[in-house]
Amino acid sequence: MILTNQNSDAKSQQSGLWGWLSRWKARRQQHRMEDLLKHLHACERRRRTASVESAAGFLHVSTRRAMTLIAQAEARGLLRRAANGLALTDHGRELAMAVLRAHRLWERYLADEAGMPLPRVHATANRLEHERVGDQVDELDAVLGFPHTDPHGDPIPSAAGQLAAVPGIALTDWSTGEAGHIVHLEDEPAFVFRQIVDLKLMPGQRLQLQSVDEHGQYEVNIDGRTLLLSPQVAANVYLEPLQELHPTAIAAPRRLSELHQSEAAVIDRIDDSLRGLSRRRLLDLGMTPGTVVSAEHTAMFRDPTAYRVRGTLVALRREQADRILLRDESTGE
Amino acid sequence: MTQLSPFTSHEVADLLDEAQRVRGSLDRGFRDHLVESIYHDAAAIAGRVTRRGKAAGFDLDRVIDRIVLSPVLGLPLMLLLLGLIFWTTIIGANYPSQMLATGLFWIEAQAAAMFEAMGAPWWLTGFIWHGVYRGLAWVISVMLPPMAIFFPCFTILEDLGYLPRVAYNLDWLFKKSGGHGKQALTMSMGFGCNAAGVIACRVIDSPRERLIAILTNNFVPCNGRYPTLILIAMVIVGAGFAPTAASAIAAASVLMVVVIGVIATLLASALLSHTLLKGQASAFTLELPSYRRPNIGRIIYTSLIDRTIFVLLRAIATAAPAGAVIWLLGNIHAGASGGTLDQHVAGFLDPLGHLIGLDGVILLAYIIAIPANEIVVPTMLMVYMSTGMMTEDVSHDSLRQVLVEQHGWTMLTAINLMLFSLLHNPCATTIITMWKETRSLRWTALGAVGPLVVAFAVCFIVAQAAHLFGLG
Repeated sequence: MILTNQNSDAKSQQSGLWGWLSRWKARRQQHRMEDLLKHLHACERRRRTASVESAAGFLHVSTRRAMTLIAQAEARGLLRRAANGLALTDHGRELAMAVLRAHRLWERYLADEAGMPLPRVHATANRLEHERVGDQVDELDAVLGFPHTDPHGDPIPSAAGQLAAVPGIALTDWSTGEAGHIVHLEDEPAFVFRQIVDLKLMPGQRLQLQSVDEHGQYEVNIDGRTLLLSPQVAANVYLEPLQELHPTAIAAPRRLSELHQSEAAVIDRIDDSLRGLSRRRLLDLGMTPGTVVSAEHTAMFRDPTAYRVRGTLVALRREQADRILLRDESTGE
Repeated sequence: MTQLSPFTSHEVADLLDEAQRVRGSLDRGFRDHLVESIYHDAAAIAGRVTRRGKAAGFDLDRVIDRIVLSPVLGLPLMLLLLGLIFWTTIIGANYPSQMLATGLFWIEAQAAAMFEAMGAPWWLTGFIWHGVYRGLAWVISVMLPPMAIFFPCFTILEDLGYLPRVAYNLDWLFKKSGGHGKQALTMSMGFGCNAAGVIACRVIDSPRERLIAILTNNFVPCNGRYPTLILIAMVIVGAGFAPTAASAIAAASVLMVVVIGVIATLLASALLSHTLLKGQASAFTLELPSYRRPNIGRIIYTSLIDRTIFVLLRAIATAAPAGAVIWLLGNIHAGASGGTLDQHVAGFLDPLGHLIGLDGVILLAYIIAIPANEIVVPTMLMVYMSTGMMTEDVSHDSLRQVLVEQHGWTMLTAINLMLFSLLHNPCATTIITMWKETRSLRWTALGAVGPLVVAFAVCFIVAQAAHLFGLG
């Protein structure tokens, strides 16, 4: 499925600086071609028209270069010129889907397993998505446990190229008092996404819309925190209604990090925002729902804290203890 | 194969399709439930087959932990323990070292005399006995006693379950520097051997933090460097004080060097995590096992066989060829002046050495000692003596005489030598291990050259500052 120039095989045989240079150019060509297909696919999904200009803007190249690229893609049967702009052929869509699948699986890997901060995940995946060798992407899929969505909540295409619809309803279309959980955070434009990350919003969090003030600011309650979201941010947060309104879902749950020294409590759940390796590690240590934990020792500057779990002493940093929610004893659960 | 399988390929394909379909309908938290039910079953079984003794009112582990993990006492206690180990090593290693040296050099003299009596040519006697053998004898007598004391002490702490508690106490520092809490563990492994410390970095699951731990492991002194540090501390630093205080001062100066090493580790980690390896400090989960009574048999086995003998054999393997090289450098005459090769090279390195408060001989010793840091001191002394072989006089008084009176060493030289020994490039084994662990030439190059640059920079600053204030 990897695009190569027709004559690149001959070129890659060349050695020395010239061979290296031509291989580099062929690779850059392949990346641009795949980026072009990604752009067309995104337009198709959003029911917008793709044009030479929009492609040039997306790829950061001149209009002339974009036209050459489009002509080459057309010659290879990846796209065709329709009356109202550019359209993908079936072959082109298949390829775009393969790139998208690699991109989102890499994002999942970088965020969950490699612990890369979310705002940097997108750019890194943009580079990795073009290096697809053999069935590496399918292996990655299996290693990650066949995830459905990327860290922002965008659906990941299946190996067969099936892509689910973007889930959820934007917060701007939500009515006051309604509660839901975050299913999708739009990662473009990047500056809005940075604000979302700074507000510590994450897919899986439960959210209740309190009110919308006269400036269009959205006042929401997320796991006990009250936040004000700008309209731009609210438009990029997608929610799905909660099936059952869990009593601890919206009320501020107590967190493990709030436990006083030598106080004991029962774990309710691990926050959905903690995923991948660190979640598995906590579960492996026996921090499963219903387990009794007590805080025993705190280090200098109150971090980390040693907790007694199932008879052993386990030290956790504050960030992790923050993500473990405790059962509210007063409701008698 | 197909005959053994109870399913046809068609059925397998159907099964996979079914799995694919069911997977979509799975609840998000099914993995959590899986672990939960495993734990539930395990707890049920354990509850049926085990009986728990009455909870004792007094839990010794908890009392000890209240002191060891205390936010106030934890760190000072750790430093005190480490200082005590160094002090014991310095006090205890002195006498056996001299005994070993006397014995081994006596053998050399006898063997050399026997060779001469048999009519062997002078260069053969020189090469084998005054070159290769003397290199070995030096390494064994200087290294074996400190290791035989240091390693069992360290292993006792390990066996007790103290090391994870060190990681716990140091975690806030590593968190600030963007590293992983377990980096404190891999760092302590580095005190034994940097190559082992680099391998130990496998326990860190996040790739970014593992790389930071690998690249900065070299900043804590391994036992190959302790002989250099302890020797300099005893001969130059401690000697400046009253004899009763000398060993305590020497131990304190080694402890200081270790603390500087830890600070360098933290600063280098912070620098890396703000430049090349940007990212946030990740999760930290650490089990603090209950204290165990140290198993004497295992301590003797792991500390003496696994560590002492292993490190010694490695040192011998590199010291033998190095001894030969040293002998050759000291016995080949070249140039108009007729000086030996090592004198030429040392003379050439001298200006650079003086710029950083050292001298050409020390730099030459470090170049020869790249395969193993253990042989730095012997090499240095041999070139100083210019007798064409390593010195056999290991008494501390005569050593000080040679270094201070004949070669102009000052306190600055001693301090800078200790700093250089602490910060300079890792030995060849560690470099190879870095490459094996990262599989990246670029990171390995950074791990090898970076510390060297730091060592030169720090020594240069210290030397120039000392000159500026009229010291040294």
